[in-house]
Amino acid sequence: MLSPYGLDIIESCLTCKMRAERLFCDLPTAALQSFESIKYATAYPKGAVLFVEGQAPRGIFVLCKGRIKLSICASDGKTLILKIAEPGEVLGLSAAVSGKAYELTAETIDPCQVNFVKREDFLRFLKEHSDACFKVAEQLSEKYNVACHEVRSLGLSHSAAEKLAKLLIEWSSKNGESLKQEPRLKLALTHEEIAQMIGTSRETVTRLFADLKKRQILQTKGSTLVIRNKAALRSLATTG
Amino acid sequence: MSQSCLDCARRSERVFCDLEPGALQEFDGIKSFQTYPRASVLFREGERANSVFLICKGRVRLTVCSESGRRMTLRTAPAGEVLGLSAVLSGGHYEVTAEVVEAAETAEIPRKELLNFLREHREVCMQVVNLLSEDLHVAYDRVRAVGLARTRHPQLHSAPAH
Repeated sequence: MLSPYGLDIIESCLTCKMRAERLFCDLPTAALQSFESIKYATAYPKGAVLFVEGQAPRGIFVLCKGRIKLSICASDGKTLILKIAEPGEVLGLSAAVSGKAYELTAETIDPCQVNFVKREDFLRFLKEHSDACFKVAEQLSEKYNVACHEVRSLGLSHSAAEKLAKLLIEWSSKNGESLKQEPRLKLALTHEEIAQMIGTSRETVTRLFADLKKRQILQTKGSTLVIRNKAALRSLATTG
Repeated sequence: MSQSCLDCARRSERVFCDLEPGALQEFDGIKSFQTYPRASVLFREGERANSVFLICKGRVRLTVCSESGRRMTLRTAPAGEVLGLSAVLSGGHYEVTAEVVEAAETAEIPRKELLNFLREHREVCMQVVNLLSEDLHVAYDRVRAVGLARTRHPQLHSAPAH
C-alpha cells in the first residue's frame, strides 16, 4: 500500500500504540475521543515548514512521527536552533494559548506525521477537559525548562568547544547509550545546523570536530559518531 | 502572622489572584504566608521543586549558574507573579535560583496541594496555562537576546533585559 513520504499514517489516536508513552496523548478516553474529532492528521516531507516565527497562530501541531527543528531568527538572518522536537511534543502551544505570534519556526528534518488542531477548537477542548489542560501545563513547563537551559548554555558557556561537547554529551545520553564505555549517537544535523544550535559558525564546528577526531576523543563511522573518550569530552564541557 | 487572600486589596489586579470566591477560599486554606528580608533565597536552582511561591509584595531576582559558579540574571520578577510553577508542574527541580532583592511577602503552596487544587478548579488550571505561556514567552525573548545578539566571544555577565 502506498503511503505519503514513506510514513505509515496513524489514523486514530484511540488505537495508537504510542499513546501510553506520550505525555500529551495519554488522556482519558472521553477526552481523546473529543480530540479525535477536532484533529487533522497530516503528513509532511523532510524540509517542510509548518509555521514561521512571527506568524499569527492558526493552531497547535502534535508531532506523531519524525523530528522537527525549532529555531529563532534575528533580523539579520542569523538563526539559532533551540531544539529538535521528538514525537509526542505539542508545537505552537504557547502561541495558540496566548494568541500571540508563533515564537519559533518549525521545519521538518524527517518525513513527519503531524496532528493539527485549529486554535478555537483547541481552546474549547482545554476548557472542557481539565486533564488536557493539565497536560498542556506540563508541556509548557517542559518547554520553559528547555528555554532556561538554553539561556544558561548560551549565556554562560565560554567557548564553542564547550557548547559542542555539552551537546554531544546530551545527545549521547539518549537510549541508554551513556552507560556504555563508548557511547554512540547518530548525527541528525549538518555542521551548519549544529553551528546554529550552539551559536557559532559552520567553519568552527567543522574545525572542532576535526580537532576532536585528531585527539581521538571521537570517531566517525558513516553518520554514526562514537565517543572514544567520555572523560575527556566531559571535561571539555565544563571548562567554563 | 496570617494574611488572608480574602482581605487582600491587590487581588483584582493580579491574574492569578483574581479567583472566584469558592476557589479563593480553598486557596487561602492551602497557602502559607511568609515574609523574607532582602538577600534571602526562596529556592535554589537544582533543588527539588516542592512548592510554588506567589509574590504578594516585593521583588525577586531569578538567576542561573554555570558549573564554575558564574551567575547570570534571567530577569527580576515583580509582585503578582507565581514562581516555581513550571518546576512544580513538571515534577522536577527549580530551573533558577530566586533571590529577594526587595523585602518580600509570599504565599507558598506545596506541590501536592497545588496539583489537587488545579484538578478541582478547571478555570484555575486554564489560568495557570496562561501564566506558563507568558513565562515561556519571556524565556524565549531571553534566548533571543542572549543567543543572537552576541559576538564570537560572548560577554560573561548580561544586564537584565528589564
